Amino acid sequence: MKLTGINRNYYGYLFIMPFIIGFLAFGLYPIYNTLALSFTDYTLMSRDGSFIGLRNFEVLFEDQLFMKALGNTWLLWMLNFIPQIGAALLISAWFTNIRLRIKAVGVWRAIFYLPNLIIPAVVAALFNSLFAFYGPINQFMVRSGFMPEAMHFLQNAVVTRGIVVFIQWWMWFGQTIIIVMAGMTSIPVHLYEAAMVDGASSGQMFRRITLPLLKPILIYIFVTSLVGGMQMFDIPYLLTDGRGAPSNSIMTNNILMYMKFASSRGHIGAASAVGVLVFIMTTVCALGIFFFMRDRDESTFDKSIRKWFGRKNGNGNGKG
Amino acid sequence: MRKSIFVVLSLLVLASMLLAACGGSTPAPSTGGDSGSSTSGGGDAPADGKRVLKVWSFTNEIRTMAVAFEGFYPDVEVDVVYTMIPMTDGEYQTKLKAAIGTADAPDVVALEAAFVKEWVEADFLADLNDLLPLAEELGTFPAVIQVGSHDGVTKGFSYQATPGAFFYRRSMAQECLGTDDPDQVQAMVADIDKFVETAAKIKECNPDYFTVGTSGELFNPFLANRSQPWIVDGELVIDPMVVEYIEFAKLMRENGYESQAQQWTEGWFAGMSDSLVGADGNPKKVFSYFLPTWGLPYVLIPNSGDTGGDWAMINGPLAYQWGGTWVGAMKDSPNLDLAKEFIKFVALNEENLTNWATGVYTNEYLKAIDPTVPDDQAQAPGDFVSSQVVVEKITSTFDGSELYNWLGGQNNYEAFGQAAPRVNGSLLTGSDDAIQRALESQRDQYLNGEIDAATMWRQWLDLVRSEFPDLKLPEPPVQ
Amino acid sequence: MLNNYKFNTTLMRILVYVVLVILVIITIIPLWLLLVNATRSTTEIQQGLSILPSTHLIDNYQILLSKGLNVSRGFSNSLFVALASTVVTVYFSLLTAYGIVVYEFKGKRFFSNFIVVLVMIPMQLTIIGFFQYMSRLGLTDNYASLILPLIANAGGVFFGKQYLESMVIQDLIDAARIDGASELKIFHSIMFPLAMPGAATMGIFAFVASWNNFFNAFILITSLDKYTLPMLVKTLRGDVYRTEYGAIYLGLALTVVPVIILYALFSRYIISGIAMGAVKE
Repeated sequence: MKLTGINRNYYGYLFIMPFIIGFLAFGLYPIYNTLALSFTDYTLMSRDGSFIGLRNFEVLFEDQLFMKALGNTWLLWMLNFIPQIGAALLISAWFTNIRLRIKAVGVWRAIFYLPNLIIPAVVAALFNSLFAFYGPINQFMVRSGFMPEAMHFLQNAVVTRGIVVFIQWWMWFGQTIIIVMAGMTSIPVHLYEAAMVDGASSGQMFRRITLPLLKPILIYIFVTSLVGGMQMFDIPYLLTDGRGAPSNSIMTNNILMYMKFASSRGHIGAASAVGVLVFIMTTVCALGIFFFMRDRDESTFDKSIRKWFGRKNGNGNGKG
Repeated sequence: MRKSIFVVLSLLVLASMLLAACGGSTPAPSTGGDSGSSTSGGGDAPADGKRVLKVWSFTNEIRTMAVAFEGFYPDVEVDVVYTMIPMTDGEYQTKLKAAIGTADAPDVVALEAAFVKEWVEADFLADLNDLLPLAEELGTFPAVIQVGSHDGVTKGFSYQATPGAFFYRRSMAQECLGTDDPDQVQAMVADIDKFVETAAKIKECNPDYFTVGTSGELFNPFLANRSQPWIVDGELVIDPMVVEYIEFAKLMRENGYESQAQQWTEGWFAGMSDSLVGADGNPKKVFSYFLPTWGLPYVLIPNSGDTGGDWAMINGPLAYQWGGTWVGAMKDSPNLDLAKEFIKFVALNEENLTNWATGVYTNEYLKAIDPTVPDDQAQAPGDFVSSQVVVEKITSTFDGSELYNWLGGQNNYEAFGQAAPRVNGSLLTGSDDAIQRALESQRDQYLNGEIDAATMWRQWLDLVRSEFPDLKLPEPPVQ
Repeated sequence: MLNNYKFNTTLMRILVYVVLVILVIITIIPLWLLLVNATRSTTEIQQGLSILPSTHLIDNYQILLSKGLNVSRGFSNSLFVALASTVVTVYFSLLTAYGIVVYEFKGKRFFSNFIVVLVMIPMQLTIIGFFQYMSRLGLTDNYASLILPLIANAGGVFFGKQYLESMVIQDLIDAARIDGASELKIFHSIMFPLAMPGAATMGIFAFVASWNNFFNAFILITSLDKYTLPMLVKTLRGDVYRTEYGAIYLGLALTVVPVIILYALFSRYIISGIAMGAVKE
């Protein structure tokens, strides 16, 4: 029985084999291929290329546009992430607050999540026409006296960035609420009860219980949002001219990569170089945040809980 | 930061070389050469009589041509893989580049003026020099051949010639300029200085009147009057006309001579039908539009609402040409002879060109050949064709036509026929599109006052450098 | 004291509801404007903003059709790709997750950590290498290039693993083994039906992700015949449609309405699914 059990365990390899083959063929090889292309001057128009070492990367580091795209991507991501997580924490705290007893939590949540399901291309096209010079927003603002005259919203860098940030926030805050709330409701009630007995205020409870226990979930949101944010494309690409206008203010990493790909000769070597650099940056950041915060979290976390409540917390946040 | 990235990079280089060495195969790029072998699998089936010709286009027009072609040669089935190209980016070009050397590659490609040179200068299109005698016979306008050729090899022909014109509203001219007579109005806009004076008059006449929809319409006319192309000997040239254009556009914006609607947006079109309404709720009027031959039947007339008859056409301040569709054949095409036959039909067949220009290709005509064509496939009369012979034969047929009446009694064909032989196609190069689109995207911020001139030029040069890393760049004209 | 406390709570509650209502308005209004404008004529749209529908829905639809935009083909393309993606994702993710959860094999721990790492890798950034590779294989302009990579969908495996860990009953598997069922058969005939709720949730996400995917399709799919909806939406911005604003809005609305209907039906599963994927982490 034991012997067959061990034999059976080899089936594990059988079950994960399709994944491994799929990953090698469609995940790993493209990574390698992108890297290999990034050392060449390969173009679509030449269908050929030679090894040029780090030339593509040197060009990129001299390229103002690349630096601008990197900066923009971080900026656009952070500007939407901070209010997103803030709104999610606040609203989730309200929703889970026993004292407030908010009604129809499920309905509110469901509505907030809706924008996430709309095709981003549609959202971008919609906002593009809403904010056109002769479009409805201008009509509304001027006719109701909020603005003296129509303005080119999508030619003002600040406004355009604001629109991108708003759209990203609008599309994702509902999902973040759901995740944060799920985390909050999984916190054992007895922790709060104990704290209340000790006379803690709701602010203290939020800082000392909710936030530390939410940390794994917040890291999860943080990392997945970062990885998504570094690949931002659809909204900024389709909102204006697909070249990051106005003044390259919404030019993101992926738009730049696509621009190199779609450039007059189709410089896929140079496009790959953009992909490789951003890939490395994102992966290093994401994995760094994930492992660094997680490990530190695991060692200090239990201690702080014990110190605060004088008892060991049963609800671990260990890996599954 | 930079240093550490380089460390990581060099490690990755090492790793990738190791990988390549272990695998015993060369890295991916060198396999580009054998891309041809992958295409051999997906061939066509010439055995069963009907041959398939893959035609790619960004415009519906080629589909009309394809159906008409089927009618002329009933044994050939032309399968048009049709891709729309939005104005603001190069989706079509990118798809086309991506398809080279794959099984998807088309036999015949339609190429727009903005990027035809890119393809004519590259090495993918077939040599069509053997069709030149036919072009000679038909009197194909020199600019059409010039644009389709590079280093003495002609690789593309067009069914159109596209000299530009200036269309204005007769009623507004009467009201503000005191006359609607084409010759007198032409004298008032004979050059850019006079044009600006006239714009001032129109503004004075009524503050809700704009002279043009957008100064963006004049980008092409200014560019057509440069003395040098964008790139000379590997160096970017900023012709004085380019600088002058930017100054002109700024002046138009600051004095309120343009409606500020961007080209190809609904506000711009609304001006054509007199339905432009400002954000304040007041109706606005646009005096004129800079459009070429095709702009009349495709852009102005369909969007003019009930303003027909109130328009007139003159040369305007600058002679120019704008747009046009060339067709070429992929030299690796397994159907090269058929592809050439198609090009011959599209661009160098007198009967087809005559039919094309005179509105023979109606929905009924096309549906009789292929019942699956959409309802709006018909080719309206009035497109200006590339053959002088055909133009001369059909010019008089437009007298008294709908078009003639729409222009308040002018024969557009006659006027275009005089302008077409004088057009110069030598300024077009393969890099124009990228350079110009980069400038346009910076121009608008400058006109809006979002950035100053120096920033605009600098950011534009940054964009150009990003696109053409090896190009030598001049100092910006304003610093 | 107690009254004061109660008063504060009531005040707070009012504030919370006000904020929630504002957020709902912000969430709904862009979509509402989209739907309303789909029923208004181009001139009405040019006249100004309205939050009340008009009567030009049919006209707009006819304009949309007359412009040659094949919405129904875009729909069926998107539907095909999304359904195939869903099937591939759900089946292979559960298969892999089952392998990790049920068997003890060497490297299992490494493999499951590897999956977590893969979730955090920005795969879109390798699209250029992927594209060039697909191009060499002759798989560009082919849905296979969009669907096959999902065999190795790390996010799906991650979710599947969370889900199976909470529900796999070893006794059931052992019983089936004693009955002589093969391992694969156990997975297919016992596990899969049991895992249906989780599979459904995963499926909805796979579907939505594929349905909304623009970037990959934009790079890999070439011919208009094969365009998926997000790509078709992009062509709506082309100059042919520029003058017909009602029709443009209608085209956009047509892509939104089915999603809203589906969501109204399944929102419960979707929301619990998001929570499930994250909480156990």
